[in-house]
Amino acid sequence: MAVLMAVGVGATSSAQPTYALLGHEAPDFALHGVGGSNVRLSEHRGDVVVLSFWSSRCGPCRAQLAALDKSLATYRSAGLQIYGINVDDDQSRAIEFAHGGQTLSFALLLDPQKTVSRTYEVDNLPMTLLIDRNGTVRYVLRDYSTKSDDLYLQQLRSLLNE
Amino acid sequence: MNMNLRVTLAAWVVGFSVMVGPAMAQKAAPGTNASTAAPPATTAPAGTPGSAAPFDAPPADAAAGSDTAAPAAGADVPAEPPAPDTKGLDQEVQGLKKDVVDLNRDLFVLEEELLFPANTQVAVFLSMDVGDFFALDSVQLKIDQKEVINYLYTPREVEALLRGGVHRLYLGNLKVGKHELVAFFSGKGPNDRDYKRGASITFEKGIGAKYLELKINDRQRKQQPEFEIKDWE
Repeated sequence: MAVLMAVGVGATSSAQPTYALLGHEAPDFALHGVGGSNVRLSEHRGDVVVLSFWSSRCGPCRAQLAALDKSLATYRSAGLQIYGINVDDDQSRAIEFAHGGQTLSFALLLDPQKTVSRTYEVDNLPMTLLIDRNGTVRYVLRDYSTKSDDLYLQQLRSLLNE
Repeated sequence: MNMNLRVTLAAWVVGFSVMVGPAMAQKAAPGTNASTAAPPATTAPAGTPGSAAPFDAPPADAAAGSDTAAPAAGADVPAEPPAPDTKGLDQEVQGLKKDVVDLNRDLFVLEEELLFPANTQVAVFLSMDVGDFFALDSVQLKIDQKEVINYLYTPREVEALLRGGVHRLYLGNLKVGKHELVAFFSGKGPNDRDYKRGASITFEKGIGAKYLELKINDRQRKQQPEFEIKDWE
């Protein structure tokens, strides 16, 4: 966790390292949701799925979750699914966040063992993946800013139009 | 399936993947699991009647003109080529799709036979009846004190189980002899309280395949769920 935070929150490098899963099938997983029900990625074939890895200690993550929530409100009917995957060691922080002031319309999933984070090679927080309707990882965003938000919407629209 | 037929069908798969796109070919690739091996339902056949005109079909006015011009030109004028039979093409594509699905099924069976031979195979299934007193969340399975699977059930999967579905939770290999299986069931029990129960069985693995079933039932008299493991002889 400490490594994820150290690498993630501060660093916003201009040269984005390549991401090994780009163009490959998104590895399937099942995780507990904060709301109680479990979620399996493969059940959402046919939808555009956005996975956002976040931590309750990461400031930009909160801002990004809010931005993702806005995009879900707009594009849900076009077949968009968003999941926020929490990588905190302490699940209670994520639960507290979920039940706190910020209300999100998408499910927050818990990955305390970091099995999914390791599979998806998360090296920065927040990290957002866009998965197309065929289950292929198409885009990755390794930071959050106004610029990356525009890029996210552009990429999202292109996937929804396919 | 003999080897010649397999090679022929494999060639069809390659040809068909060019026609319907790489996504379909990926689904038909050998070695995929049961969930990805399902036949595609949404891919439209390439030659669906009415979807597109054949590329070499003559224009309508040219065809009409040839009808009147043909007798005047004499007998040595070559006849117009017949319009391609799109219906036949469509049937051919459907036939190829069926062959791909059949081939995929055969390869899946072959893979299972190779990876899990009948003399060492152990399969554990899970079924659920009623479910008024227990909402299933996950099942952890240990064989000979070693965790072999920890499976989270989504609401869709639970719904399928409640409708009578049976889930193959685990497929593996075991030596002949005595073994112990322990299953831990987690979920919500009566009054929506967290509920975790275990069940165990000691079974004898013989030469043939061994099938075990984890059954979750409602015990109406005690208003509690009941967990049992059935050994299918």
